[in-house]
Formats: sequence, C-alpha cells, structure tokens
Amino acid sequence: MSYLLGKRGVVFKLLVVLLAVTAVASACGSDSSSDDAAPAATTAAPAEETATTEAPATTEAPATTATPTTTTEAPPVGPSQGGSASVAIEAEATGLRPWEDTCSSPCYNMMQSVFDPLVSQYADGSYGPNIAKSWVSNDDYTVWTVQLQEGIAFTDGTLVTAQTIVDMFGVQQTGAAAAGVIASSNLIGVEATGEHEVTYTLSATNGPFMSVLSNPPLGFVFNAALVPAGDDDAMAAAANAPTGIGTGPFMVTNRDVDNRTEMERNPNYWRVDNFGTQLPYLDSVSFHPITDEGTRLDSLASGTVTAMQTLRQATIRDARIAAEDGSLWMFEFQGNNSGGGMFNVLVAPYDDVRVRRGLLMASRQEAVIAALGGEGISEPATQVFAKDSPFYSEAVAEAYAGYDFDGAMALLEDYINDADRSDGKAVGEKIDVVLSCPPDPTLIAATEVTQQFWNETGLINTELTHFDQATHINMALGMGNEFRGEHEAHCWRWGSEDDPGGDNSGSSPWETSPFNFSNWYDPDHYALLEEARTMEDIPTRAALYEQAGLIQNAAAPIWFSGGTATAIITAAGLGGFDSWVLVDGEVGIGHPSAVGNWGQAYWAAD
Amino acid sequence: MLAARLVRLVATLLAVSFLTFFLVNTLPGDPINALIPPDAQQDQEFVAQLREEYGLNDPFLVRYGSWLGDAINGDLGRSVITDQLVTDEIKHRIPVTAELAVVSIGLALLLAIPLGVTAGYRQGTKIDQSISALAQFLLSIPSFIVGLILIYFLSIRLRWLPATGWTRLTESVTGNIKTVIMPAVSLALTEIAVYTRVVRSDMINTLKETYVLSAKSKGLKDRFILFRHALRPSSLTLTTIVGLNIAGLIGGTVVIEQLFALPGLGKRLLDAIFQRDFIMVQGVTVFMACVYVVINTCVDLFYMVIDPRIRRKS
Repeated sequence: MSYLLGKRGVVFKLLVVLLAVTAVASACGSDSSSDDAAPAATTAAPAEETATTEAPATTEAPATTATPTTTTEAPPVGPSQGGSASVAIEAEATGLRPWEDTCSSPCYNMMQSVFDPLVSQYADGSYGPNIAKSWVSNDDYTVWTVQLQEGIAFTDGTLVTAQTIVDMFGVQQTGAAAAGVIASSNLIGVEATGEHEVTYTLSATNGPFMSVLSNPPLGFVFNAALVPAGDDDAMAAAANAPTGIGTGPFMVTNRDVDNRTEMERNPNYWRVDNFGTQLPYLDSVSFHPITDEGTRLDSLASGTVTAMQTLRQATIRDARIAAEDGSLWMFEFQGNNSGGGMFNVLVAPYDDVRVRRGLLMASRQEAVIAALGGEGISEPATQVFAKDSPFYSEAVAEAYAGYDFDGAMALLEDYINDADRSDGKAVGEKIDVVLSCPPDPTLIAATEVTQQFWNETGLINTELTHFDQATHINMALGMGNEFRGEHEAHCWRWGSEDDPGGDNSGSSPWETSPFNFSNWYDPDHYALLEEARTMEDIPTRAALYEQAGLIQNAAAPIWFSGGTATAIITAAGLGGFDSWVLVDGEVGIGHPSAVGNWGQAYWAAD
Repeated sequence: MLAARLVRLVATLLAVSFLTFFLVNTLPGDPINALIPPDAQQDQEFVAQLREEYGLNDPFLVRYGSWLGDAINGDLGRSVITDQLVTDEIKHRIPVTAELAVVSIGLALLLAIPLGVTAGYRQGTKIDQSISALAQFLLSIPSFIVGLILIYFLSIRLRWLPATGWTRLTESVTGNIKTVIMPAVSLALTEIAVYTRVVRSDMINTLKETYVLSAKSKGLKDRFILFRHALRPSSLTLTTIVGLNIAGLIGGTVVIEQLFALPGLGKRLLDAIFQRDFIMVQGVTVFMACVYVVINTCVDLFYMVIDPRIRRKS
C-alpha cells in the first residue's frame, strides 16, 4: 500500500475522531440551558390576559406614558411552579448597580429580577404600588410622602425601612446614573418621617414625580450598607449584585460577565400572585448576552436558550416565520418608542424651517420602514405618543409633515432661490445635507432610502456618514460645545413609556439642556411642557401636550419613521409577560422594550 | 542575545503603550459620555468631580506617566465604566481566548500537516491538485460563514451542540468541548488552508535536498523519510506562521467571539473601544502586545530546536 493510501487513512481517522468527540460531547453531561427547563408542580392558574405594553427612549420633547401592546401570544393557560428560563439578551449589562450603571433594555431584564422598584406601571401607563404602598403630595407637588410596605427584606434578611431609602439617597447622590435624575426631577432631600414613611422634598413642582421612582436610578431599592462610601472594592463587587443587595424575586448565584448570569429564586420573596401562590414561579433564570441578532434567534431555535429579546424589526419578521410551526411564542410590543431623526437647528441649512419641512415631505415613511424591516410590523409615527397612549393626538398626527413631493419641492425651491438663504450659498445652488446613522445594516438601508428620496428632488446633495453608537451619541450631545452638538441630520429614537413629565425637562433651561438634542427651542412650546408638570390630571395634560405637539410638528425639528416594535420570543410554553400583576392585583404594563418581568414568568401548565 | 531581546521587548511595549494611549485619547468622544447619562452631564459640578477623579483634566503626558508607573507595578487600573480591575478582566477572559486559539490551531495542524506533506510529496498529481483546490476553497470562505453553517447544521438541525455560549473547563469538560468545537473549527478551516500550502511548498524544496535523496537511496520507506527527515526542516515557515497566528488570535477572534457569544478578550477590547473605556483599552492592548512579543521570542528560540544549523550560528 502506498504512503498516500496510508495517509488517507489517517485523515479519515482524524475526521472520525472529530465527529465522535462531537457526538460524545453532545450526548454527555447536562448542558445548562434547556435540559432542566421543564416545569414541575402546577398551581392555580389565572387565565392569561392580553395586556398592554410599550417601550422607552429619550426625547427632546417630553416622552410618553400609557401604552399599547400588540401581542402575538400564547394560548390562555396558567402558570406552573418551577422550571427555569435561559434568556438571550442583546448585550451585557455594564453592571447591576441601579444607581451607578447606565442601563438599557437588556440590563433592565437582569436588574429587575434582582431589585424591586418602589412603584410599578399599570397597563395604562399610570403608576401603582410596589414597595411603596401609597403616596400623597402637597398641593404644589413639591413634597411627596410615601408609605412603604412592612416586612419586606433583602435577601440577607435585612428589613427595608424608611431609613433604607434615606441611605440609598446618600449613595444615589454620587451615583453616575442617579445623580442626573435627582437633578432633573428637582429632588433635593429624602427624609425618614416614620418607621415606614419617607418624605421626598423637591425644589420645584413635579406632578408626575412618582414616575421616577419606577425606574432603576432612583426607584430600585437596594441595600446601601453593601456599598460604603469610598470603598472601591465594594463598589466593584456590587456590580455583580451580591446576595443581600436586593429584595427581588431572584438572587445572582454566578455572574460570568459576557457569558451568562445565573440566578436562583429568592426563597423569601415577599410577593404572591392573585391566587396566593408564592412568586416567582420559576426556580431559576439565566441571562446570556448574544450580540448578533441572527445567532440569538438561532440559539432560541436550537434550544440553546429558551427565550430571547429583540429590539429589531427584521428579527421580529424572521422570528414570526420561525414561530409559524408553533415552536415559539411571540410577545410583541409597540409602544411610544419610534425611530426617526433630528436636525441640528443651530446649523445651516437646518436653521430654516423650509428646509426641515421640505426634507420631511420629500421622504416617504413607509419606504423607510420597509428598509428597516418593519413592513407589516410597524406603523408610521407622527409624534412621541403611540395611538393608544392617552396623550396621542389626531390633530398632531395631521400636522406632521408627511410625504408630499410637490409641497417639498416648493419649500426647497423657495429656500434655494432666497438670496438670504442661511447656508450662504449662491441662489440656485443645491442644498448640502449630511445624514448620519450608526452602522447597523438596517439603519444603513434606511438612510440610503432617505438619501434617494432627498436626492430625487434634484435640489439636495445628501452625504451619508456612519459612526459607531458611542460616537453618534457624543456628536449629538456636544458636551464640548455647550451641548450644541457636532451633528447635522441625525438618526435618533423618540418616545418612551415613562411619564412625559417625569424627569427630563424641568431643572435646566431647555435651550441649553443636553436633552435638547436638536437645539430647537420655542418658548411657547416649552411653557406648555412646564405647565403639564404642574398637574397629574391626564386629560388636561393631554390637551397641553397636544398644543405642544402642534407647535413642534409645525417647526419640524425632528422626524419619525415608524413605531419601534420589540419582542420577547420564547420556546412554546414560556409566558406570563403580558399578564403579570402589581401588588394590588391589577395587570402591569407588560414588556416594553422587550423587558420582561421574569419574577412572574412561568412555564404554562399542561 | 537574551539581553538584546529583553531590551527590544521593553522598547516594543513602551512604544505600543504610548501609541495606544495617544490613539485612544484622540478618539472622538469623552469617557464621561459613556460613564454617565445625558441628564447627569448637565450637572457641571458633578462632571468636574468625575473628571478630577479619573484624572481626565491632567495633561496627556502626566496621565500616561501615571498609568505607566502603576502598570510597572502590575496595576493596569480600573475600568472607568465597570469599576472592575483590568487585570481581573484579562484573567477572566484569557482562558477562553487562549483555549480557542490553541484548539483551533491544533485542529488546523492536525489536518494541514498530513495534507501538506501529501501534496508536496505528490507534487503535480491529481492528489496535489485536489488538495490545493481544497485549500483554495477553504481560504475563500470567511470564518464567520463557516460558523453560521455549523450553527445551522450542528445546532439547529441536529441539535448536537449549543449555538452560543461558553462552558469553562473548570465547570464541565464535556460542556467545554461542546462549546469550543464550532468556534474552533470555524477558525481552523482558514488556517488549515494556509498551513497546508506552506507545508507543501517547503516540503517540495526539502525533498530536493541531497540528504533526502541519500535516504531514499538507502531504501528507507517514503513515510519514514517524509516524517522523520523531511518534515522538520520543512517546518520553519510553518512555525513562524503558527507563532504569529497564536499571538494574532489572542485579540483577533472578535468576529467569532461575537458570533458565538464567547466571553473572550477580543470582544472585551471591542466593547471597551466603543465605550471609550480608555484604561481598559490601554491595559488589554498592552497585554496583547506582551503576548505577541513573548510568543515571537519563543518562536525564535524554537527555530533552534527545529534546525541545528540556526543553533550553531547563534
């Protein structure tokens, strides 16, 4: 036999060995995720209700509230007790310190499994009790007295009292995430006025103040004793949420950063469901950061994980196809969050409303939504409120500068032929526009479509630029130039499920606020927003926001594409994201921005 | 010779650390942007306090000098974003990246050496042409495409292996094997192509050497000649490339780490760059430079083991 034949044999053997190792490895051992995910005993089962949902974001105009939910969901079956869930999230959390770590959707999934908020949001977007069982304010909304539930303990047994909240405030004042919220919500003092009574004092009126107590920086209750001032090691350790730091339904048992974070049920959790069943239903939950959208869905489809989140419409589209055989359940949510962009009105030619409106009217929203992968998923947006928000306005929708090619041409020609045009160009010269978006494939596609629309007018030269997310945000923020920014036409997201008056407009002049990304300021518009902060009544506030929206859409400093659909997608049987309840038994807001309430998620009973 | 190498090593590390520090500082943006949300940035006093705390107000050279002083004492600092020690983050991730690099290169060598030797030995035959065509084919497929194909077949269709994630060796050996196979094979296929071509090329030249002809004339078996007499002197180029690959893979597996969601060093570096976490970027880059320099030094030394003529010259 020749050498060659002998060699071929060796190669063949190597391949056989490799395949054998693969097969043996896959057959042996219990690999975490799906193996032990089966539920155990069954408990009384509330019928699953299709509730509401929504999503968060940042805005220049105040954001949102109550929200809508589009839920493609699970059959009406009740929870069983036990089992586990492994959840693929789109990014790793910087850390799990509510007061310190800047958090977004994936991180919130983890954080709210470990910490409980003082208040929670109902399905209609208003706020209800959690650790705070009731609250009352003075007439001008500058002093808020909050009563806490009694008998709630951290996972190390330490009881939550009013002093806990005071101690938290000491840490929050120097917390990277909390300090800004304290300033913008006008909060100047927290005092224990009883064993379980806390008084918050504000420097200025803030009608929707309780909304900030639903969010992590100020609202998530933690044990400040574990992070003594000046102790760097304790601060670093807190990022992994050690036992005793929270009161939430789960405790972190293993945090392998960028790989997985494992949690087990808090055996002494203080919550039960409407039928008296101890929460959480699940024995354990683990979170796995998988950045790539495609492999995140592949991981779910292959059983590597049992749930995933996505904030991308294209992934929802693909997941809908994968779910057609019934192997996956989809919990979709379209709230107040929408895609779009803004013009930096301090930069020519965007300082001229003719250009701003002309650009909006030259672009067709449906085509941009299709490029984003949202055809049949997202609806065109016209304001920072979704249609089922109590603050949504038909009048504002009609005032939005939608697609009107002839109208756009008229406005742009008027500008081009204006001898005093703001960009200093000669009469008749084309307008130069720089449109910038992060380099996500769908965003690139959307900007290319927009570029085509704008260039089709024959009056505009559109240059596209793409910077990474951090640079993109920094350019709009403009910390180095008094928050004027270094951007021109800039992709952005608008709207959130948070109360529109909560924390983002009051404390600093809007002209110079870092939240005013477009730098557009209209005193009448701003006065309406401020007035809305002085009251709680929703219909009255809605009327004020309507007036503000009309002014804003006329000035067109920002534009919208479509509502941002988000989803939690699970292996068939894992649900509960639309039916979770507050302590008073009322249904909660659902899963805005693909943030699930894992403390009330469950495997459906057979 | 050793002293000269050490001087070169230190000079290289100093240059790398200085250049990295310089480049990170010229990136657009400010670490404060990543550190605190926009609402906190309107509090100028708070921002000033943070800038002072992180030494961001100091001149560039002062900051570099301060960092260097600590680094010499083994303190690469704390991440400005996560507050974790840079050395801890490296220690946490290097086992993942190193294992991935070693396994992928090991797999590649296992297949490439026999293929390369065969192709060289059978130069010009259909076998040689087939192997060369295979190598060309493997070279043309990006590793992430291989990864996607493997995920589709081995995870989604057959459900043999987890699509993503990493099980550490200390947790479970079988779990570790299951999570390392697909990323390692994805990386290995391209390397197989490169190594095969290199071995083939060197083998063709070696087989023309007089000592090989002499061995043949003594009637030694082909297999014995190839693997005992010809392979070693044909491995110099291969050794160089493998050394460069190992060092390169320490930071260069980021695409595969991203695809398979592995907690490796490359992914950490990429995240740090996007977060403007300059202390983390600095620490990880210098660590990678160290690995590069040390491995290349080892490769140089290994030449002497492979080829006695180099040893004698040295």
